[in-house]
Amino acid sequence: MNVENIFTSFKNALGVSYLEDRTIERTVGVIHSGTVYDLWITVDRASFHDAVAHLCSEYVPHLSVISGDDLGDNVALNYHFTVGWGERYGEVTFTIRTLLPKSDLTIPTITDLLAGAQTSEREKIEFYGIDVVGIPDSRNLFLPEDATIHPWRKDLEEETAKEVKRMVKWEGRNE
Amino acid sequence: MNNDSINLKVGQCAATTYSVPVGPVHPALKEPIRFTFNLDGERIVGVDIKPGFAHRGIEYMGMRRNLIQALYLSERICGICSISHPLAFTQAVENAAGIEVPPRAQYIRTIIGELERVHSHLLWAGVGAHELGFDTLLHLTWNVREKSMDLLEELTGNRVDYAIPIFSGVRRDVPAEKAHLAYEALDYYKGLLQQMIDAFLHDKSVEMRTRNVGALSYDLAVDLCAVGPTARASGVKKDVRQDMPYLAYADMEVKAITPEDFGTEPHGDVYDNIIVRLLEVKQSIEIIEFCLENLPSGELMSIPKVPALLATLKKASGEGLGRHEAPRGEVIHYVRLEEGIEEPAVWKVKAPTYSNLMAWVPKFLGDEIADVPIIAASIDPCMCCMDRVHMVDTVGNETTRMKEELVRLSREKTRRICG
Repeated sequence: MNVENIFTSFKNALGVSYLEDRTIERTVGVIHSGTVYDLWITVDRASFHDAVAHLCSEYVPHLSVISGDDLGDNVALNYHFTVGWGERYGEVTFTIRTLLPKSDLTIPTITDLLAGAQTSEREKIEFYGIDVVGIPDSRNLFLPEDATIHPWRKDLEEETAKEVKRMVKWEGRNE
Repeated sequence: MNNDSINLKVGQCAATTYSVPVGPVHPALKEPIRFTFNLDGERIVGVDIKPGFAHRGIEYMGMRRNLIQALYLSERICGICSISHPLAFTQAVENAAGIEVPPRAQYIRTIIGELERVHSHLLWAGVGAHELGFDTLLHLTWNVREKSMDLLEELTGNRVDYAIPIFSGVRRDVPAEKAHLAYEALDYYKGLLQQMIDAFLHDKSVEMRTRNVGALSYDLAVDLCAVGPTARASGVKKDVRQDMPYLAYADMEVKAITPEDFGTEPHGDVYDNIIVRLLEVKQSIEIIEFCLENLPSGELMSIPKVPALLATLKKASGEGLGRHEAPRGEVIHYVRLEEGIEEPAVWKVKAPTYSNLMAWVPKFLGDEIADVPIIAASIDPCMCCMDRVHMVDTVGNETTRMKEELVRLSREKTRRICG
């Protein structure tokens, strides 16, 4: 898989919304060495859905997971895709990162492109308080159905601690 | 089953359908989960899945501990694949911090990882046999599994939570004087493998209960991002060990196993799940043998002193991904390190069942309530026990079904179709 070709194709498709890219190249193997690649691109939120659509049109991607990162004023979302599975050394990880300002935590769903993204999107809704626009099912997945806390938000730690204390008391554990 | 009409949410119940919650404590899982089935007679027409009853906030806790403490925590994410998470986590941190792992340590990590696959797949096969009512096969399978547990105990000191990987290497060696124990176990499995294949795959009753039950098409497996044997049973040739080699897997030709390797077309059903897992036991034995024969000499850790290791990690900054093909599929960890702090700034864990959650829906649809235990078990190899099943009809009448009753239903079906 030619790394530069992938980046160029995204640059052409996204234009100014393509903000930055980087490649991490690693050598693996003791007897026979080979090279594996982790690719990262950052895109503007306005073109995020287009970026995933472009990925789906060029490859058959697998979404491993979406990770989030509370950076203070923004929440960064890293969509960890892998592409090229099916053959030895054929696969690279391909992470698409986008920044959401805390004042407007919204992102379009990608379940229309890849239905399997729903689990991870629902997790981001409950744990970061992000509004995933267009997701078919936005109920809490891992947290209790009526929970309104967002445990991975650093600015909401006090509320989380209060709610956890309440739940522990409610369960009668008195710890 | 019409794959196009998959209903990912519980829809409106028609007058003749029943809504049946199963769980949160569930028949075929080590962890509690709640299924709500919509039934038309015996047939499943809708399913809603609610996990989270065992969510312990491990990532949250890990981000408040130093990296070595978080490593021990990662080992406790799962009791069955208790090396898979540390393998992915150590690789993520090593990639972020640029730490080298000595060749011998890479091979030892691989050996323990593959031994885990052997015992996990055999555990799963035994659970599957039990769900179908073949308890003799359960006892045979779990007896056979003990050999791998004994070997793990000999090599690591523990039957679970082996505490082998640490950042920059491994904590314990596989000494030459213990190698004969490993070879003995491998010979034992080689002799038994055909017997296991005969007992599971050439048995008419097993075939009748598992063929075309819990089927997942190739396209859906890809679209729903399924991983591991669940995806490979549908013919998706996806295996991290093959696609993006790491550790000792880079030195050998590991191939993703699908039912085609057994000479059959993939259906993605429970029978194909058995094929893939049994053939992977054989593959794991070959991998362990390769590692033992080619075990490089040398050090176990590139930074052997723990205070020096902690200091190196504290100075590191950057982000890294670590992946491992666990018995149930891809495990991935994302880590971001910040200079000056001992804790990971971000730690995200993804376990295989997380990816396979969505794939459960099409597997259940169109099948019968008596197939629930075996389809539920087809994704995840661990068996706890189910507390109860509530049956609620549309006018609000409620009955409670105990675990024994659901297992009885499954076994009655076996007897019925075997005449």
